[in-house]
Amino acid sequence: MILATLIMAFAFTLAALFSYLAIKSKDLVKATVFSAGQSAAFALALFLLMAPDIVLAYVAVAVGIYTALLLYIISKTERYEGDER
Amino acid sequence: MRGKDVAMGIATALLLFVVVAIVLLGATAYTPSREIRPLAKFYLEYCMNVFNKDWWAASPEAVTSMLWDYRGIDTYYETSVFFLAIISGVALFRIVEVKLGAEGKKEGKELGLSLIVKTSTRIVFPLILIVAVSVALHGHLTPGGGFQAGSILAVGPLLLIAAFSRHFLGNRLRLSEDKCLTLRSIGLILIVLVIALPLIAGAVALMQNQPKPWSPTSPFPAYVGPLWISGSLFFLNVAEFLAVGAGFTLLFLLLSIPEEDFRRILGL
Repeated sequence: MILATLIMAFAFTLAALFSYLAIKSKDLVKATVFSAGQSAAFALALFLLMAPDIVLAYVAVAVGIYTALLLYIISKTERYEGDER
Repeated sequence: MRGKDVAMGIATALLLFVVVAIVLLGATAYTPSREIRPLAKFYLEYCMNVFNKDWWAASPEAVTSMLWDYRGIDTYYETSVFFLAIISGVALFRIVEVKLGAEGKKEGKELGLSLIVKTSTRIVFPLILIVAVSVALHGHLTPGGGFQAGSILAVGPLLLIAAFSRHFLGNRLRLSEDKCLTLRSIGLILIVLVIALPLIAGAVALMQNQPKPWSPTSPFPAYVGPLWISGSLFFLNVAEFLAVGAGFTLLFLLLSIPEEDFRRILGL
């Protein structure tokens, strides 16, 4: 129980870290990868919260499909945000 | 700048870690109790209750029995919303119907990513298919179901498009938009049939899975021989798997059409 709680806290922490990096990153491809990492951390947390049904849909959609759609959109515009390179 | 950012991120994360740990370990007055609420208790008690079959869904998977039995109409509307979204996507891309597939290898250039990526994709792709099919066929017994399996399946073509190319999918595997649309329609028609069948067979409600005291006839058996199929849940899962998987694949096929082709067709 304690172990699961601690791993869950770790997963949410990792997700917060990834979210922060995704927001701050000027390179949009990197930001997308950070976003996928955040999703992976959430998937771990959801698994520990005993919601395996959600995990199965969440991993496929948030890590696979969503990331691919974002990368596709980025390929249509510029990779770097603003003028900082 | 960079170091400051990382320090800021780590500080935020540490704060969150401490707060979450403290709350979860019970420092605050209210933590989520381990007891189950009455509604959840009802589902857990009755979804696979062989001694009192008045309310059962014949499935040990409480989530699937909720999705396709207890609140089945709701899931049906979700499916139709998804169907409308895909149809509007297809309507946006209708202009491209003419060509595609005609474009083979351009001047003998190797399309797609490096050999390493291609080889690992070749290994991973069948595994994705197997996982998707097993999640769909076992959706009424283990975690998972139609939507989950469909979205897992859709990752396979996506990976192929990224690692090989769109032309590989179109020319080598003969996967076209029309085929995806057909598969998707088959899935939806199956769902509608399974929904309507109880009414035709003489039950009182649409989507009735197992016999109820006020409506004793039901066309779906809980098991066929040694196979436990949980009545209509198995068929609905498979149909939803087809619909969602083919729908997502169709979307990726449309999105991955190269921009030059659009320009050529539109005459820009």
